Amino acid sequence: MSETPQMRRGKDIPETENGSPPLVRADGVRKWFGHLEVLKGISLSVGQGEVLSIVGRSGSGKSTFLRCINNLETYQEGRLYVADDLIGYREVNGKLRALPTRAIVQQRRRIGMVFQQFNLFWHMTVLENVIEGPIRVLNEPRERAKERARELLERVGLGDKFDSYPMKLSGGQQQRAAIARALAMQPELMLFDEPTSALDPETTGEVLSVIGDLAQSGMTMVIVTHEMSFARRVSDRIAFMEEGLVDTIAAPDAFFGQSDNKGLQRFLSTIH
Amino acid sequence: MSFDWSFFWGRLVDPGEVFLWALVNTIAMAVLAMALGLVIGTIVGFGRLAPFRAVRFVCAFYVWLIRGIPVLVLLVMFFSGLAAAGFYRFADLTLFGVTLTASFQAAVVGLAVHEGAYMGEIVRNGIQAVGKGQIEAAKSIGMTPLQLTYRITLPQAARVIIPPLGNDFNHMLKTTSLASVIGVQEIFLVTESLSATTFKTFELLVAVALTYLMLTTIWNFVQMWIETRLRRHETSDHTQRSWRERFSAAFTAEPDGASFRR
Repeated sequence: MSETPQMRRGKDIPETENGSPPLVRADGVRKWFGHLEVLKGISLSVGQGEVLSIVGRSGSGKSTFLRCINNLETYQEGRLYVADDLIGYREVNGKLRALPTRAIVQQRRRIGMVFQQFNLFWHMTVLENVIEGPIRVLNEPRERAKERARELLERVGLGDKFDSYPMKLSGGQQQRAAIARALAMQPELMLFDEPTSALDPETTGEVLSVIGDLAQSGMTMVIVTHEMSFARRVSDRIAFMEEGLVDTIAAPDAFFGQSDNKGLQRFLSTIH
Repeated sequence: MSFDWSFFWGRLVDPGEVFLWALVNTIAMAVLAMALGLVIGTIVGFGRLAPFRAVRFVCAFYVWLIRGIPVLVLLVMFFSGLAAAGFYRFADLTLFGVTLTASFQAAVVGLAVHEGAYMGEIVRNGIQAVGKGQIEAAKSIGMTPLQLTYRITLPQAARVIIPPLGNDFNHMLKTTSLASVIGVQEIFLVTESLSATTFKTFELLVAVALTYLMLTTIWNFVQMWIETRLRRHETSDHTQRSWRERFSAAFTAEPDGASFRR
């Protein structure tokens, strides 16, 4: 009999919706900014190839949690795994010890991130943005990196913008370039932090369709978003966060069908 | 009023060997002091953002102290003051067949120490101008802190630092005239000695003023070329400024972003 992933990884792993082994596993993640507790014990898991959307009011901790996953923020209690990496820490006798920067850098390499403000390197052309990681971080030969970058940029519809500087592109084009930059690192997991919140309605559509295609391709993704209909369409599950906790987590139809959940209904009614 | 035009034109066309060597001294002083000032400024600028309190304090103290002392006083202090107190006496130094006089060395050090304090603020400002989002994006693609500094922070900071740095060099070209006080054979001192023997004071002063103007004008063009290159990311790809536009920009306006003034 073949080993199940659960056996390989050891004990009590929460099951994910589609039964696949979890790629992301949060267990009681807590974080404080000074005295303010912003994450009050987040537990959830994201399966291999699963798309999880996180929704909630601003200030609910959803972006902070997402940023914890690739260590742009550090959590202080609980455990947060991506594949077999305990993010940010090693465990010594049940206590968390911060990892050295070098190890944190290694952990980030398998995780792609897309930001609300795009954050393309403005002193580089679009193509240079995309090849920067592969060349510097993955030590890929320049020509090979360029070839892959061109393919990725074609895929996100920027085949004619290789040599443009980010400031000359529209927000939607910048965000698609930023997605290509993240994908160039060949990540196992993609994180999206309100990827369309800084965009106008026309360009929002083009970015969402790129993200939707990516979801179709089987990429594991965690998306913090306010776009409810988009979340409903692309997600395997949707999580509703409120005041630093996961209030509800369910498949889209079940999620939107929870008429008895007052907090969720109040949130859903304010967003449209 | 009498203006000896033939003497004046003669000075402009053939200023003589003494003056040309003085011109070399002026330019060398400005370039060396600027280079040394840039090194000091980079250390001070990073130092003011260092994680260690003592380092931050020392650098802030340096900036506060030096910016509060006239550069003329600094020059005399380095040349005469330190020697009088028995701390350090500059001596003539021959390097690769070129003799650097004691006063020249003191002038370069004094100007550099002064420049370093201003440059420190410019460098700090440049580093702080690099957006948090840029740094997070670099981290998210797995860059190490060193890669981040070399590939993102420094190139982006340089674009903020270089315009005011160009202005500082413009100042520096003219500030070198103060070194005449400690006896550096630069163009102003040579002009003064010459006017004492020829009594063509006004003609000589106009000629030396024109010489400074020529130096700063040449520098303006160099500065403009550098800044155009640095702004490739925000100018459109195909439009080029016409020579007429460049010419008028060089004479009328400060380059964009160079609002730094003493």
